[in-house]
Amino acid sequence: MKKIIKHELNFFLSIPAMLWQVAFLWLPLAFLMISSMYSIAYGFSFTHYLTILDLTHFRVILRSLFLASINSMLCLFFAYPIAYFLAFKVKKSKAILLFLLTLPFWVNFLLHVYSWFFVLERNGILNTVLLKLHIINEPLYLANSLFAVGLVMFHTYLPFMVLPLYTIFEKLNYTLIESSTDLGATSSQTFFRITFPLTLVGARIGVFLVFILSFGEFVIPTLMGGGKMLFVGTLISSYFLLDQNVALGSAFTCLSGFMLGWALLMIFVLFRYIFYRITRASS
Amino acid sequence: MNGIRLENVTKMYGDEPILQNLNLEIPSGKFFALLGPSGCGKTTILRLIAGFESVDSGSIFIEDQNVTYLPGNKRHVNTVFQNYALFPHLNVFANVAYSLTIQGLPKEEIQERVMKVLQTVHLEKQVNKSIDQLSGGQQQRVALARAIINRPRVLLLDEPLAALDQKLKERMLVELIDLQDTLQTTFIYVTHDQNEALTVADQMAIMNPDGQIEQIGSPKQVYEFPNSSFVASFVGTTNLISGKLNQDGEQWMLDVEHLGLFVVSVDVQKDWVVEGASVIMNLRPEKIYITKQEVSGFSNMLRGEVKAIIYHGRSTQYIISINDHRTIQVFEQNDEHFPKEVINYDDIVNLYWKKEDALIMER
Repeated sequence: MKKIIKHELNFFLSIPAMLWQVAFLWLPLAFLMISSMYSIAYGFSFTHYLTILDLTHFRVILRSLFLASINSMLCLFFAYPIAYFLAFKVKKSKAILLFLLTLPFWVNFLLHVYSWFFVLERNGILNTVLLKLHIINEPLYLANSLFAVGLVMFHTYLPFMVLPLYTIFEKLNYTLIESSTDLGATSSQTFFRITFPLTLVGARIGVFLVFILSFGEFVIPTLMGGGKMLFVGTLISSYFLLDQNVALGSAFTCLSGFMLGWALLMIFVLFRYIFYRITRASS
Repeated sequence: MNGIRLENVTKMYGDEPILQNLNLEIPSGKFFALLGPSGCGKTTILRLIAGFESVDSGSIFIEDQNVTYLPGNKRHVNTVFQNYALFPHLNVFANVAYSLTIQGLPKEEIQERVMKVLQTVHLEKQVNKSIDQLSGGQQQRVALARAIINRPRVLLLDEPLAALDQKLKERMLVELIDLQDTLQTTFIYVTHDQNEALTVADQMAIMNPDGQIEQIGSPKQVYEFPNSSFVASFVGTTNLISGKLNQDGEQWMLDVEHLGLFVVSVDVQKDWVVEGASVIMNLRPEKIYITKQEVSGFSNMLRGEVKAIIYHGRSTQYIISINDHRTIQVFEQNDEHFPKEVINYDDIVNLYWKKEDALIMER
């Protein structure tokens, strides 16, 4: 009897979460699917999909996939030492450092992005310093470039990689690393054979987070890219907000979502393969 | 040949000194136990030898090679960790083969050596199992196999049996002794458990809570002839009775407040053996004969009342109150099914011992 009550209670307690999911995930998704296939002019048809199935749209998706891949790899590369340092080397000021890591999120996102202009623009801090030091003779065109987009995305999303990695590192038994050293491994052997495979789960979560967020990002490309290059996020927002073309916008959203799904699946398989190679190679 | 030598080693954790000017020599090819209470710095000594920590001052030698500044992965030393530290993503084979794989040895050689070492620890059937499929004792053996496969000059064992149950622990202790005998490698066994240390060690060092080494010797020397009251009470159970020395011709007596005079045997060569010196008598509980009868042939006798009886199986422990001033512990072997004499609570008993069986120590 008690068990049944507990079971019922669990069900009732989960209702808000389920309502939330239905209202804010499944319903919008359903609307999106329907509006991508239905318009007053054509009724139900795949016309909109046929319109966007061209090289231009694919190029936009590929560009976003490329940016997301580069960004997640960069974040992964830099997040590893940070997470390792935070988990194993910092003793006293751990809370302060973790707070500092999340500090950029305390500033309004637009301000956060805009502040990079002062660093990167023609008369910005970076150019001024480089000119003063006579490293360059002409100011560099840093703002409004793919480089600027990448840099700001990297800066914005690095914490999304560090935090899951840090959580996994905290759970990693440091004795395993000592044990590997004890058995004669150099620090790079220890990293690739022990540390990396045992933190792969955290790395995967981080890569997923950064990849998905970077793929759909539209504020940073719009502000830092100078509107020169289209990305998935910018194109979707222009379909919906500028052109008011809900049908094409929905179709493109669905298509890019489909492509993102495939990309994530491939990342998943890649991680499994790496783990398999590392663990099986030695036995 | 020298095994390991620590010279004037000092190690600080922050401002706290853990080890101060420590000197320790560990003979080569012996089973050496490092025994001390928790937090005395014995694990720190192990970590310094392994190279996980560096000294603040002093030097460490392994077989006459100065390794003070040699990184851990370059020292011919392997460690069995307290919680085994097996790699959870690798199976038994890959764990044991780890140090050989690192060196890039040919596959056939690795295969052969792994199987051989797994036979030594009786695990050849588990070779393809993953770590979480093994029992605690089996994991212990994998950790051992992994540590000895590279034929280290020194094997460090950091409380390796702490997580095992009593029965398994006893079996593993015997296996460890056999293994050391076969390999002839220097084993350094760190433990806070005096029974483990007494069982395995050829030589043992006893550390006090201040990180100093109190005594080094064979288990028998340490147990029968402790050189301080700390060692006497830390290794085994004992009665420490303090008093003053009295000389009566050739005979030396111990004058103990409330208890009276006891005949003792002292080494007159020692400079602290003088009339009126404050000393401690170390009287092991099993050296005392307990009876309700009056018997002769013993140098000393005390009369007291039984306050507690603790049955241990092979022996019985009595706690005897002497005139309500102090208690004396006595062990009696349970070597008969039906003892002639049964001692009960509140019985008045006589405690007898020979003067040679009580050790007089400097206070």
